[in-house]
Amino acid sequence: MKYTPFYQEYLENQARIVDFAGWALPLEYTSTLSEAKAVRSRCGLFDASHMGQILIRGAGALSLLQKLTPNDICLIQEGQQQYNLFLNSEGGVVDDLMVYRRQNSFLCVVNALNTDKVYRWLRANAEKNVEIIDVSTNTALLCVQGPCAEDVMQAVMGRDLSDLQYMHFIEGDFDGKKTLISRSGYTGEDGFEIYTAWEDGIKWWCGIMEQRAKYGLQLCGLGARDILRIEVGYPLYGHELDEKINPLEASLEWVVKFEKDFIAKQKILDAKREGVKRKRVGFVMQERAVPRRGYSLYSQGNFIGKVSSGTYSPHLDQFIGMAYIDSQYEQEGTLVDIEIREKFCRARLKSYPFVKLGIKHKGT
Amino acid sequence: MADVKFAQSHEWVRVEGECAVVGITEYAQKQLGDIVFVELPKVGDKLKQSFQFGVVESTKAASELYAPLSGQVNEVNTDLVHNPQWVNEEPFGKGWMIKVKIEDKDELGRLLDEESYKALVQKEGH
Repeated sequence: MKYTPFYQEYLENQARIVDFAGWALPLEYTSTLSEAKAVRSRCGLFDASHMGQILIRGAGALSLLQKLTPNDICLIQEGQQQYNLFLNSEGGVVDDLMVYRRQNSFLCVVNALNTDKVYRWLRANAEKNVEIIDVSTNTALLCVQGPCAEDVMQAVMGRDLSDLQYMHFIEGDFDGKKTLISRSGYTGEDGFEIYTAWEDGIKWWCGIMEQRAKYGLQLCGLGARDILRIEVGYPLYGHELDEKINPLEASLEWVVKFEKDFIAKQKILDAKREGVKRKRVGFVMQERAVPRRGYSLYSQGNFIGKVSSGTYSPHLDQFIGMAYIDSQYEQEGTLVDIEIREKFCRARLKSYPFVKLGIKHKGT
Repeated sequence: MADVKFAQSHEWVRVEGECAVVGITEYAQKQLGDIVFVELPKVGDKLKQSFQFGVVESTKAASELYAPLSGQVNEVNTDLVHNPQWVNEEPFGKGWMIKVKIEDKDELGRLLDEESYKALVQKEGH
């Protein structure tokens, strides 16, 4: 089992700990629902140090990334980040990631489950003029998320952060801690992600926790993280994404920039021309019933697909989820039946996000 | 809690005259975490001891509920449909689930008393 630098803090805060991709992580501290609610109304602190960070630099770094991903990294400047995908040669998703464009390197933040796989994939495709370094084991990652996140971080850092725009980051030596801070997250709320050295992580944790009472900040576990990302329709690798799903099926066409060249571009163009057979959609249950991963969907008795993620949404007080279904049924408003314990429960297709996004877009 | 008995599957039973009130224990609700959905039988349904009578779902997983006694369902706490969190808040109070007309008093003898149940919970590790 692997442990993040905050394991002791989990214990001291009575977290219920689970094994996630080989890491001992908090499922919840007090209650998953109250943690999720705190992030929508005030603020929550997540440890995401299990995630992978791969540094890519050298003369061929940009072209390697451009080759393996469908989004156009040239669209972002130094100090900006971008959501992107690593694709395999068939157009399936090796992993989804966040790319940070730095002065002399790119920082790729990948899923814990996929870190080794992505590292090998990059290695296998790299020319000699690229350096690829897995810095995961030395990188702590804390996420402060929610409408009060800016207040919290300003109080912690003693500086104004209102100029830091969504999907932008700053880097530097903050109070003796070398840190990268971006305005981003996985909750749909305004928030910050703090990347720092493993040994400096605890200093940030303590600094943030000092603001706990003032801003009603809540420690949040994986349970809340999953609810929050489903409420805004963010995909999770292994649920909505895998090696056999292409970006069009995943409803991530906005990520694909056909103006540039990339691996499996022709396959994705072919799929686009022919039309994909299955599609990721969102749905809201029309009755009280919990949709869970793997449940079957039907339209007038015909099997049309399966639930990829489902949850109770404390923000909406409704049951929501995402599913992969036969694309001929993908239209918003379509009524479907989800089989739950041998009973059909009504659901209506609805495009996500299911809740209003709190992120502060400033024209980007 | 002299009149309260417990099933190994973590339901409690409180005898009230001819009837038994049934719910899940404090230990069970804690293990389940936030409860978001409860599926209960209908009034008139016949239950059989140790057989499934419903489902409780938390944010984490769905768990089956087992009848601690046989008998006909007399009353159902339908408030739980819209307030499943009551099971977390007061599993022994407003989070009760069903009332069953006791069919066979001997079945009560096959349930655990409070002390034995406490021992069972300790053995399970919490």
